[in-house]
Amino acid sequence: MAHAVSTTRAPHEASRRSFLQGDRFQMTAFIAPTCIFLALLTIWPFVYSVYLSVHSVKLTALHRAVFVGFDNYINLLSDSLFLRAMLNTGLLAVTSITFEIVIAFVIAKAFVSLSHLKWVNGLRSLFMIPMMATPLIVGMVFSYVFNPVLGIANYLLSGIGAGPVAWFGDTTAAMISILLINIWQWTPFMMLLIMAGLLSIRSDLYEAARVDGAKWHHVLRFLEIPSIRGIVLLGIILRIIDTLRFFDVVYVTTRGGPGDSTMVLTLYAYQQNFQFFQAGVGSAAAVIILVISIVITTFAVKLLRRIEDE
Amino acid sequence: MNNAFRLRDVVPLVLVLAFVFISIAPLLWLMLAAFKPTAEIIAVPPVWIPDFTYLQNFRDVLTQFWPFIVNSLVATLGATILALILAVPTAFALVNHRFRGREALADWILSTRMMPPIAAAVPLFVIFRGAGLLDSLWGLVIAYAGFNLPFAVWMTMSFIRRVPKELIEAARLEGCTWWQVLKDVVLPLSKSGLAAVATFVFIFAWNEFMLALFLTTREAKTFPVVISSFVGTGRVYWEYIAAASVIQCLPPVLFTFFMQKHIVSGVTMGAVKD
Repeated sequence: MAHAVSTTRAPHEASRRSFLQGDRFQMTAFIAPTCIFLALLTIWPFVYSVYLSVHSVKLTALHRAVFVGFDNYINLLSDSLFLRAMLNTGLLAVTSITFEIVIAFVIAKAFVSLSHLKWVNGLRSLFMIPMMATPLIVGMVFSYVFNPVLGIANYLLSGIGAGPVAWFGDTTAAMISILLINIWQWTPFMMLLIMAGLLSIRSDLYEAARVDGAKWHHVLRFLEIPSIRGIVLLGIILRIIDTLRFFDVVYVTTRGGPGDSTMVLTLYAYQQNFQFFQAGVGSAAAVIILVISIVITTFAVKLLRRIEDE
Repeated sequence: MNNAFRLRDVVPLVLVLAFVFISIAPLLWLMLAAFKPTAEIIAVPPVWIPDFTYLQNFRDVLTQFWPFIVNSLVATLGATILALILAVPTAFALVNHRFRGREALADWILSTRMMPPIAAAVPLFVIFRGAGLLDSLWGLVIAYAGFNLPFAVWMTMSFIRRVPKELIEAARLEGCTWWQVLKDVVLPLSKSGLAAVATFVFIFAWNEFMLALFLTTREAKTFPVVISSFVGTGRVYWEYIAAASVIQCLPPVLFTFFMQKHIVSGVTMGAVKD
């Protein structure tokens, strides 16, 4: 660090110091606009959301806010729809990420073992499409594929004598369908990460393991898992953050239904705020989502720094 | 390395091909519907291969909804430009300027990326309403640029770090101002990286739906908001949905092909090198 450099050092060190500390004004001008912009977009909304969350207030009549203390939070925690949204969001995060990692690992291994075939690598951009495509369109795609009348999924199932499945039609099936869509959409993401991790393992380590007579599960446990752990953790955190803001797909496929079966946190807060105009309750929900994100983010930032430094 | 196909490649190959098929088949199926008249879309058993010369759906969507495609483009491009104008100098300063709290500042910028948009939704709505930015493309440009700014700063930092420190030092000793160093040394050397950053911001903004849903009502509606309205309480306009989906997904899919090698670094905010 520059401030640790003593002035009694060699001339080169001194010039290095002025190089590092010079033109403070210009550097401030480089950084300040971004910081002001981000503060307006994050700190101010946070303060304002907290303010709204302790008031009984309509989005359409913000000047008539009545202070109610923690009532909104208490109401939320006794609202079965909100609890359902919490449960579903947690359930989605845990199950979809678990499936994503397992499937992604298997496919990534397959891909890596085929790396001598050039054309197979060309397939990479094809399987990335689900995670790059517009999420709203992903929702549309599955509304179409899982449609009870004209959907191809049930048609194919009927061909093998199965079904019909009520994809979005009954409470359990709807949640499973949403889960399947999530896995479909985000396994490629996890796979890219795991592949990057696997490809970073030096081949002589595999060679050494083979010479030592290691079984595949030894290689997995002592070589592969330790090598990809950091990057998979990063993937998990980014995916949890994604799940907390999960909205587009449920909005077009189930809107949280049937009943409350597929309600998720962001959709709940969105509906409270912008459909029922309950800015107090909606803001309380938003604050809860934000607090969960902050906790996870604290880990995420540390982790990203560590991976960056490696 | 031996490029030949070996017998033990069979199982992995089947797995990989199945995975690729599952990944693209659902999307492809909706894309095919874009070339079908309504009667073929709802036909059971399905019409597998449509007549690709049937372009009426595209014609309908484009003639009726082109202003919203333009809205999407303008908001997205505007946000991309604004985000880069702000992010590049910031990233440059965070990489090359030593000051107390630098790491903390970079971490704070990163942590804002993790903030769920819904947490800022109502405050944003209220400011925008006060400033007359509701249902305006300027509002969308500001919101999209802001929400993508942390990502842009971090990914740009990862590219600027690759510029050799000696070059920057040499330019400083020659008497260049920081602005000149940025403009004449760093920018030319990180052009392709910055193109990747711009592409990602473009895709994220282009794909955005929820903010546009409550920030726009009529004039400034983006294309995804319009597409979502094709599923009403009454009839579902599958032929419009299909054609519009092709148009909407075209930029991200094309970019996926061109940006292949940057995608890992893009989806991890530059934490993982490509």
